[in-house]
Parts: sequence; C-alpha cells; structure tokens
Amino acid sequence: METKLTKEELREFEKWCVDIYKAGKLRSPLHLSGGNEEHLQAIFKDIEEDDWIFTTYRSHYHALLKGVPKEWLKQWVSDNKSIHVMNKEHKIVTSAIVGGTLSSALGAALGIKLKGGKNRVWAFCGDMTSESGTFHEVTKYARRNDLPITFVVEDNGLSTDTPTQETWGLKDSGPNIIKYNYKRIYPHYGVGVFVDFKDDKGEDRMEIGI
Amino acid sequence: MGTYKEELIKAMDILAAHPKTIFIGQNVIYGGASMFWTIANVPKEKRIELPVFEEVQAGMSLGLSLEGFIPVSIFPRMDFMLLAMNQIVNHIDKMDEMSDGQFKPVIIMRTAIGSTEPLMPGPQHCQDHTEALKLMCKNINVVRLENADQIVPEFTKALQADKPTILVDIPDMYNKELENEFKESRRKSLENL
Repeated sequence: METKLTKEELREFEKWCVDIYKAGKLRSPLHLSGGNEEHLQAIFKDIEEDDWIFTTYRSHYHALLKGVPKEWLKQWVSDNKSIHVMNKEHKIVTSAIVGGTLSSALGAALGIKLKGGKNRVWAFCGDMTSESGTFHEVTKYARRNDLPITFVVEDNGLSTDTPTQETWGLKDSGPNIIKYNYKRIYPHYGVGVFVDFKDDKGEDRMEIGI
Repeated sequence: MGTYKEELIKAMDILAAHPKTIFIGQNVIYGGASMFWTIANVPKEKRIELPVFEEVQAGMSLGLSLEGFIPVSIFPRMDFMLLAMNQIVNHIDKMDEMSDGQFKPVIIMRTAIGSTEPLMPGPQHCQDHTEALKLMCKNINVVRLENADQIVPEFTKALQADKPTILVDIPDMYNKELENEFKESRRKSLENL
C-alpha cells in the first residue's frame, strides 16, 4: 500500500505525543519511534491492506502507515494505551512483552495458509528479540512450513538501554555448538512394549505409558 | 452417561464437528499421551502435530483465533503447559482487555494432571496448577473436570463462549479403562495368531 504519510507527518505525530506527555496529560508509558521513517515507508510499500501487522509496544508508525487514522490513534494514546495499540479494522496487534507477538503472528500466518488466503503477516521485532529462542523457533517453523509471513527486525542495537551484541557476545554463536545425528534404539519413554506387573495391592496392571 | 473416557471422546467429537475447530499440539497425530486416545474420531485433516514449543503453540492458538479458527490446543500435561504461561497469561488472557473488546479470542486449551498410576512419574509430570491458573487469569475460564458428567457440558460451553477456556482433565480417571482395552486388544490379537 502506498502511504500518503510523509516523514515529517510521522515525526509530527510523535511530537504531538511528546507534547501531551510533557504536559503531564498521560498516565502511561510512551515508546516513541524516530529515525526509521524512511525504512518503514519503504517496507510498507509491500504491505497490503488485508495483511496483518504484529508489532511491539513501539508501534505508532506501524499503525499510521497501515492506515489507522491519526485522530483514532491520538485518542488511543490519550486513553493511556499507547503501550498496546490494537486495531481490528486495520489488523494491528501489539504486545508490551518482548517478542510477545511473534508466535501469534505465526499462528495467523498458519491460518491464512490453511484457508488458502492471499494476504500475509508482517511481524516486527527488535534486535534483542531477534536473538531470542522464540524468534528462532518461529522463523524456523515459518520457513520450513512455507508460511506467508515476513519478519522485520528493527535493529537499534539496544534493548531498553542494554547493548544487544555486548550482552550476547560479539562473536558468532556457531563455534560453541556441537551437533550430532543418531537413530534411537528405545522409544521416547518405556521400552517399546507394554509391561504387565502387579501393583502394591497385588492387582494385575499394565504399563501403557500414560 | 458414559464413562470419563467415553464422555471425553463424545466432547471431542462435538468439537470436531464444528467447522471452525482445528486440533493442534503434541500427540494429536502421533500417540504418546493418554489424551491421544480421546481424539481418535477427530478427522486427520483437522489435526496439526506441532513441535515441542509450548509457548509458540499457545501464541499460534491466539493467531489462529484471529484468523477465525477455534483452536483446540492440546498440552498433554499441565507441567508442560507452564512453559506457555507468557502467552496464556500475558497475551491470550489479556487480549480482550488490551484491545478494548475488539478481539475476543475463542481458544480451547486442553491439558491434564498427569496420572500417578500405574506408574508414579515423579514431581515434574503430575502437578495440578488449576487453582494457580485461576488466580493468574482474569478472562480465561479455567475448569478442572472432576466428573464424567461435567465433560460434555463444559466443552460445549467452551465452544460457544466468546472467551478462552482451559479444561483440565484427569487421566487417572480413565487410564485404567484404557489399560483394560489394550489388554483385551492384545488378548484378541494373540487368539488370532
């Protein structure tokens, strides 16, 4: 979808948020965007009206670029709900928990595939999330099952104020991982047959793995 | 009124007959948990076997519900469901509130208190956190299925609800029945040799 919003208009929205926040009119946290307007404008050119957006607590730009009216979003922010912008009409889901929407994004993509839909899901997250276990699980599952979903990592190098790469280590994670393949000789549990035995009361029982 | 196991099968048949339901989780296509035997009549095309990633499974259930499905999300033991608490407590339970009622996910989560007979599986496989779940969840209806006569009405209610439900079954109520069925099946196959 071609956005009509300019970089300046996006910044103006966040400036409005800054102003009401500074005026002491909000009773909730704000997570503002800035500096990524052109990146998002380019990405949203490929996003269709019927697509889903799953994103984070920093979502004003995503909502506006998806078509949420400024006035609707201003009211939502004024109602102290900036941290979880949700809009069913424009198919926007967010979470205030790091990585919180990745798996629901995956489920929506699975749902689209099961229904044979043509739309897709766009899942936005930060760089710390992109190092998390959930991120690896969902991206792997999506790739291997050919789901209609695109993951967008918004990398500002920080998680809150923690430098992501410093905490994870600046080297690749590869060398400290050993992988080997084997074929098991026993099942996951038990020994592969049902086992008869007498319980404490002397009753004949059978172990059936439950 | 049937036995506990018969009522579970009846309830699963009712869920399976609904056009929007989809059964997901571990042991929905492949065996390994007592619950597996209670979904025997659910058509294969309505089942998706997932990897063991409980948190992602719970989140996927939410995503599927947003796409109009009613997921029947199966966690074979409550001990394992603990790994999904972020999605269950922070997301599924809060979706209605966070969206001002725009999203009302209908999700049926099924779990069990691991059986302690005929084998005692140890402290990580038989925990009952039903009461803790009730304390943590503001919107999800949490139900422990104490008796056979509760089963069909509670699953039917979950299917018709406009909110998520967690139903906790008790395999100790029906594993003896399964055990006898397996014994009988084996006896018959031995007779046919």
